[in-house]
Amino acid sequence: MKFDPSAPLPWENLGPHLAKPRKRVGMVIDQVRCVGCHACSIACKTEHDVQLGGFRIRTHYLDHPERPVHGFLPMMCMHCQDAPCITACPNDAIVRLDDGRVEISKSDCDMDTRCVSACPYGAIHIDRQQMKADKCNFCVPRTDVGLEPACVEACPTGTLLFGDLDDPEDPVAILAAAKGAQAMKAAAGTRPSVVYIGLESWMEKDNPGVQLQSGESGVIYEQGDAPPAHVGETRKKPTTRPEPEN
Amino acid sequence: MTPRVPFPFTPFTRRDWIKLTGAAALTPGLGAAASPGPTAFYRPIDYTKAKAIPTICFGCTTQCGVLGWVEDGRVRRISGNPLDPNSRGRICAKANGVIDLTYYPERILHPLRRTGPRGSGQWERITWDEALDEIAARMRKLKEEDRAHHLAVQVGRDKTQGLMQRFLHAFGSPQQLNRRAICSSNPRVANMSYFGESVDWDTGDYEQSKLILNFGANPMEAHQGGMGALQRIQKARCDKGARLVTFEVRPSATASVSDEFFPVRAGTDGAIAMAMAHVIVKNQLHDADFWDRWCNMPFADIEKHLEPFTPAFAEAESGVPAADIERLAIEFAKAAPHCLTLINRGITKHYNGAHAGRAARLLDILVGNIGRPGGFTMTTRSAWKGGWGQDGLPETEFPSPAPPAPPAWLPGTTMFAELPESVQARVKAFPKSWQEKYFGELYTPSEYPLSWQWQVMRVGQLVYPYLKEGRAKLDTYISYTFNSAYNYPEASLAREVLLDETLLPFHIAIDVVMSETSALADIILPEAAAFERWDPQVTNAYDLIPFTAIRQPLHPPLGEARSVLRIFRDLARRVGHGMDAYFAFEEEEEFYKGWFKNLPITWEEFKRRGIWYDEKRSKDYELHEQPVPESELAGAAFDEKTGIYSVEKKGKASAIGVKLADGSVVRGFPSRSRKVEVMQDLFVQGAKYAGLPADDPCGNPLPTYFKVPSHVDMKEDEFHWVTFKWNAHTQSRSNYSKRLAEIIHTNPIWMHPDAGKKLGVKSGDTIEVTVKRPKGNTYRAGEEKPVGTIRHKVLLRRGMHPRVLACSHHCGHTQMGIVGNPDRPEGPVPGIEGMDPALLTDRDLPNNLWWARKRGGPGNGMAINDTFPIDPTPLIGTQNWFDCVATVKKVTPV
Repeated sequence: MKFDPSAPLPWENLGPHLAKPRKRVGMVIDQVRCVGCHACSIACKTEHDVQLGGFRIRTHYLDHPERPVHGFLPMMCMHCQDAPCITACPNDAIVRLDDGRVEISKSDCDMDTRCVSACPYGAIHIDRQQMKADKCNFCVPRTDVGLEPACVEACPTGTLLFGDLDDPEDPVAILAAAKGAQAMKAAAGTRPSVVYIGLESWMEKDNPGVQLQSGESGVIYEQGDAPPAHVGETRKKPTTRPEPEN
Repeated sequence: MTPRVPFPFTPFTRRDWIKLTGAAALTPGLGAAASPGPTAFYRPIDYTKAKAIPTICFGCTTQCGVLGWVEDGRVRRISGNPLDPNSRGRICAKANGVIDLTYYPERILHPLRRTGPRGSGQWERITWDEALDEIAARMRKLKEEDRAHHLAVQVGRDKTQGLMQRFLHAFGSPQQLNRRAICSSNPRVANMSYFGESVDWDTGDYEQSKLILNFGANPMEAHQGGMGALQRIQKARCDKGARLVTFEVRPSATASVSDEFFPVRAGTDGAIAMAMAHVIVKNQLHDADFWDRWCNMPFADIEKHLEPFTPAFAEAESGVPAADIERLAIEFAKAAPHCLTLINRGITKHYNGAHAGRAARLLDILVGNIGRPGGFTMTTRSAWKGGWGQDGLPETEFPSPAPPAPPAWLPGTTMFAELPESVQARVKAFPKSWQEKYFGELYTPSEYPLSWQWQVMRVGQLVYPYLKEGRAKLDTYISYTFNSAYNYPEASLAREVLLDETLLPFHIAIDVVMSETSALADIILPEAAAFERWDPQVTNAYDLIPFTAIRQPLHPPLGEARSVLRIFRDLARRVGHGMDAYFAFEEEEEFYKGWFKNLPITWEEFKRRGIWYDEKRSKDYELHEQPVPESELAGAAFDEKTGIYSVEKKGKASAIGVKLADGSVVRGFPSRSRKVEVMQDLFVQGAKYAGLPADDPCGNPLPTYFKVPSHVDMKEDEFHWVTFKWNAHTQSRSNYSKRLAEIIHTNPIWMHPDAGKKLGVKSGDTIEVTVKRPKGNTYRAGEEKPVGTIRHKVLLRRGMHPRVLACSHHCGHTQMGIVGNPDRPEGPVPGIEGMDPALLTDRDLPNNLWWARKRGGPGNGMAINDTFPIDPTPLIGTQNWFDCVATVKKVTPV
């Protein structure tokens, strides 16, 4: 650190000029590094004032099948390239932005809950005060001024890394390729833009997704207690979107 | 499968919300009626307008540098300060929880005086003038009756760097009490007894290490300095192939990420460490040069001492296979110096903890990794004080003269005459140098002399029994962000004494929210929250370059809250009796500007960055090997017998270096001999003067292992009863945060599935745990009547040691506002005009606290510390948290 009073500090002069143009934003989650500290979800919930009971990102404590310990697995919206939520929404309230991220347009959401059911990752919850569906948008207000998403900035171990997965020069894309990062629940065919290093099949088995659930085998919630039943309670098989009228 | 619980939902429309809160504009600092300004609904933070102010987190004692993002006068987010060399711009879950405290609708914002009986929860709002006048009048009376020592301050967490001591010394009382024995006095003694330096965070050079042997520490979850430690350990593991090996009684986060994890029986880590030392010595894998150059005893003697501690012995004690012990010991020695042990704190929170900690640290000494890259490094708090090694940071000073220390309680003084005869007899037998350090049973308990030899650490959990037994007397008791009524062992006894107006006639609590302890006060003074005040900071430095930081306010205190600096200044001025001379300063910012006047950057620049260190400085490796410059030696006195050079500083001889056998003159360690004191005579002396039997193993001058007395003859159906901390909480003081409480709100008892099967219980069933009194030389040892019994749900976890039950701390509050106790009747607490008694300014309070029982959730867990006996380690006084023995039975549901 040089003490040059004239040089700007990393947090000074933020603005759109620092926003990086990206083809396909995405994240690499290096599961091996995660220590289950919950910094990501608390940073996220504070940043977005996420209602209690719902999560945009959450770290699971999984029961390791071989060793008598926890495995830690951060789960969030995968910003799928083939996003079932976009297809499921009857109001076109879920949109894909130019850089590939999937966002819920709050003004168009009428709390039809089909998106919640459609998501294989449990990434969407209903904010019952706003009466809107809510999920991760990779922190649009932050990336627009050159900051990383709140969870990535907080993560103390470098488990969460954010970048452009379609830019071969981007360190995150390079890492994903070098370590053979994998999609969660690849069989769902959603082509996620959040990929995992160190993902093993037991982590996907019975994985209930981002929202709090309990009782599923192989998954222990830190507390071992019963979390709230979400709208996910009424989760049905993914419904396909009605045929467009025109 | 646990039944799904419907999400409690009060239909609350957007229109209702705006109607209720729309008029509440953001007006911090305006007092009762002012709301801190709710966001009617989420409004994204505008980072082009929000101002980032560097400050210091107060989520725990690690004190990470953070940025507070302030928009329209309100803190919206906390992120890491990338200039902080420890945390490197990262934060943990707790950091953003501090925002929840700042804007907690039930925060205390005005001085309060109780109107009903103590603890009845009836309060009236009073002015600061009324509050301070009443306290000052009481203190003046004490002074006039020559009873200044009947004033005590007990702190839970104090980062003011000496304010409490100044206040008490200015008044003439030594009674600055704390909670060090609850946390770190044993690991400190383990280190200080070798090096004279406490190294209280176990700061090793983790990032360069190749093999870390972790004896029950939990750096991934709840370590002091955790943010710096965990990222360095993970970097070493994931990027450099280092290995972390953990001995632990339960599958903690640290155990989970460890490359090898051995579930051990509680209290036996010391046997493993001793056996490893045995293996290293037997295979001649030690660093003979380091031993001969630095250690204060011949190698042959330690060889002989280690002989009985074989791996087979350790296996029988701990359950860890002898072959693994042998293998790891050899790997450890071969990795030297890129290897180190962690002893902060699982291994040390036992009756045998100081010696077990010494045994583990002996491994570092044997392989000679001390101060070397990748090894056990001692950083820079000493250097900060300017007393050891190269110069530390520029000197700081309290910008007002320091009061003289009060007189020692020598025989013949009025204070001494107040002591019971048995205590008087013990103190009279002390050497004179000890008598001169003796200030009564609360500050320097005579039965625990090693708690006040290197540092005055005190034995906080004995304050209440000593008051009850008449071994100490107090009149005015100021508790400062301190919650003994909830988190002390035998908290029920703390509550009993706090309720008793004959034992504690006048209790003033300084706090931000109502805690179980402040609820038992006579007057409550509202303190500024962490993000509303100044504090100078210096912590251990993981990069081995000392740095300093400043906590600065992100906005003025809300309501009538005041910083603790201002509270004590104003109180001192009202008391008079010369106290005001030591508090001669006006504005807080001016005060801290004066404090840091020697920094080589401007005050404005320091505030802009929040952190300063010397970027040209090299890392503090091997401080003990630094040569003493000729210029310093010229005026120094030399002692032929010890080889120590010293100079006179403030009227006392202060060592600057030591002459070694080869004739070199180097700084050495800050121990009394400047050497590594493997043979530590203070244990022998301590045992003698405390009255322990001559053969008591606690008096062993060498690192050793002996079975915890409570664990001798443990019956087959008895369990170890231990507690632990979560990553999302800090002790008892984070349950104001709705977001942290959402992650961890209850605390089922962890048990091994095999033990569960034997008992016939499955996860979710209720068990009854009855905790026995401890054995050995300790408080109420061996009494038949159990300490306490609780009934609580069980959670079966593989990875538990089959003989251990673990139950986390943090839960079961009766105070801490609606989040701490979500099943409390809703509605304003009588007398407390917080910022928003109706709880309307927070979108989640109270209706979204889904874990409340009344909303169909599991509730907020159990406060478990009533079941932990007061059990101080002999000589030192550390609470032996992990020594408890309990019986268990299944509770059949009715």
